[in-house]
Amino acid sequence: MKPVAFDHDCPVTLEEAARLIARPGARPIAGGQSLGPMLNFRVARPDHLVALAALAGLTGVEDTAQVITLGAATCHAAIEDGRVPDLPGGVLSRIAGGIAYRAVRNRGTIGGSLCHADPGADWLITLTALDASVLTWTPSGGRMIPLAGFVTGAFRTVLAAGEIVQAVHIPRPGPGFGWGYVKACRKPGEFAHAMAALLVDPARGVRRLVIGATGGAPVLLQGVRADPACVGDALAGSGLGRVERRMQAVVAARALAQATNGRVMPA
Amino acid sequence: MTRVTLTINERTRGADIAPRTSLADLLRDTHLLTGTHLGCEHGVCGACTILLDGAPVRSCITGAVACAGRSVRTIEGLAEDAVVAELRAAFTAEHALQCGYCTPGMLVTARDIVLRLPGADEARVRLELAGNLCRCTGYGGIVRAILRVLDARRGEAAPVRPAPLPAARFAPRLRDTGAGTGVMDPATGAPVAAPDAGPDGAPDRMRQVLMLDVPADQVWAAVRDPVLVVECVPGARLLSRQDDRLVGEMRVSLGPIQAAFGGEATVEYRTDAMSGRLVCRGQDQASGTRLSGEAEFHVIPDGAERCRLEMDMRYALRGPLAQFGRGPVVQVFATEIARTVGASLQARLRGEAAPAPPARLGAGRLMVRIVWRALKRLVSFRHDG
Repeated sequence: MKPVAFDHDCPVTLEEAARLIARPGARPIAGGQSLGPMLNFRVARPDHLVALAALAGLTGVEDTAQVITLGAATCHAAIEDGRVPDLPGGVLSRIAGGIAYRAVRNRGTIGGSLCHADPGADWLITLTALDASVLTWTPSGGRMIPLAGFVTGAFRTVLAAGEIVQAVHIPRPGPGFGWGYVKACRKPGEFAHAMAALLVDPARGVRRLVIGATGGAPVLLQGVRADPACVGDALAGSGLGRVERRMQAVVAARALAQATNGRVMPA
Repeated sequence: MTRVTLTINERTRGADIAPRTSLADLLRDTHLLTGTHLGCEHGVCGACTILLDGAPVRSCITGAVACAGRSVRTIEGLAEDAVVAELRAAFTAEHALQCGYCTPGMLVTARDIVLRLPGADEARVRLELAGNLCRCTGYGGIVRAILRVLDARRGEAAPVRPAPLPAARFAPRLRDTGAGTGVMDPATGAPVAAPDAGPDGAPDRMRQVLMLDVPADQVWAAVRDPVLVVECVPGARLLSRQDDRLVGEMRVSLGPIQAAFGGEATVEYRTDAMSGRLVCRGQDQASGTRLSGEAEFHVIPDGAERCRLEMDMRYALRGPLAQFGRGPVVQVFATEIARTVGASLQARLRGEAAPAPPARLGAGRLMVRIVWRALKRLVSFRHDG
């Protein structure tokens, strides 16, 4: 189907973009790989689309010993192709390479994916496990919001009107960290029916398990609760049925096996 | 109309188009480049895949306005391309097409595989082709054709590694832990749990129990008053009522998703048991999404001053919205609405101001508006007790 009629604004400064997206009926769009289908199905009917992907303030990367910061408009394919700094073992590249299809990864952006807040989105689940934050921009300064507190429910975030996600702040885990990410899809590239990401970071005493593809925000389990055995209970209020909860426990166990690679790691 | 100028197949082309125009429609309708095929128009089938600045993209979900100043290459512009020439010959030799509808998108994707992944084996080729659907061939011929070209090119120069993205500086900012972490109760702001799905794991059934600090007979009287109940639905507005017939429409918004359901409903009441049954059916005209549901409700006294309102619901969502509102999402959202209705009902019965957030479910900037609107379908209530 064709989308409803809307205006399509292409601001060139962050100030202009912030003003335009704050209007009633306005919707920001980055790569549009999730919003595009919603527009074509007419389940999204904005009055104004405001293009953010070409804004200079949302591009580029910053790499330090502690943190990788990626501009929000960085597309998945650039991360997949190693055009940005990565964590040891190509963690980010592998996540990016598993998102949808290459033609989608060439357009879709890391910031747009987080802001869309689909409960089944790869970056939302994995970056929450990696304890990443978004850096937002507003005319008065902006803030740093940990992803664990960023999403309030399916397709909803804590962003204020006119607040723009400018970059994604990904802390580097300590030496010898373990990482696992497993999702259950019937076909490569489809939305997952169950997904689990697990960070085991003994040097920092951190253990974070995140369950996705629920009815709402990612479910974060930390410390001793970051264990596949706790998944069933943790999902009691997730809107998932018994079969789905079982699938979630299975992918969590596989993520744990990946992260620990057979080793026993302290909780 | 918006003026858009871009490079198409190495020629500068300008056009005045509606801002909603997709790149695919610009190519096909304005420039008559009909080799770009439209299959699903929602980014799943891959038939519309073209090259944007050299990289494959879905032209059906790429806005034409966003491509201003950029370079597009369609299947027509690849007629003289050396890799596509090899692929064409291989597609012919391996019977890699039948009806040909998917072929332009297949060739663009296949060219990308050959150039980007010269070492790809069969498993990798199949994985990379997952985003291009073919309903004729079963993919065997397509996979063999691509492998044939890959084999023929083995030993040629490795692809150039793409350049790193430029460095930038992002100023540090104050940490704000946000208010997210799950579904928020609209009345209290506290996280709430959704009910479990049915015992068989079916996501289309749910049970909702509202604890109300109001005597049962008052709640029962309220439940019997459709006007009052409708007013308790977040943002709900009843536009007209003729005897037992109520007319309205319900507008729902969840993040970017919007729907305006017009519907009809029948309610049966069993006064002696303080229970009843609601059957409703509605449609969102713009997307064609259909919603139908049944709810058994039961008011159960809990002492003289309190009661429980129990609801067992079953619903079906069919059409476009169901593609995005996957089962658990719909269920959690329905729970949020039910809790808001309960809080609002209780407040009204106790003569308190209704809690503010019917118009605002969740803690985000994205309002959840639920407004009955437009008179599209009749809502009729039948009393039998």
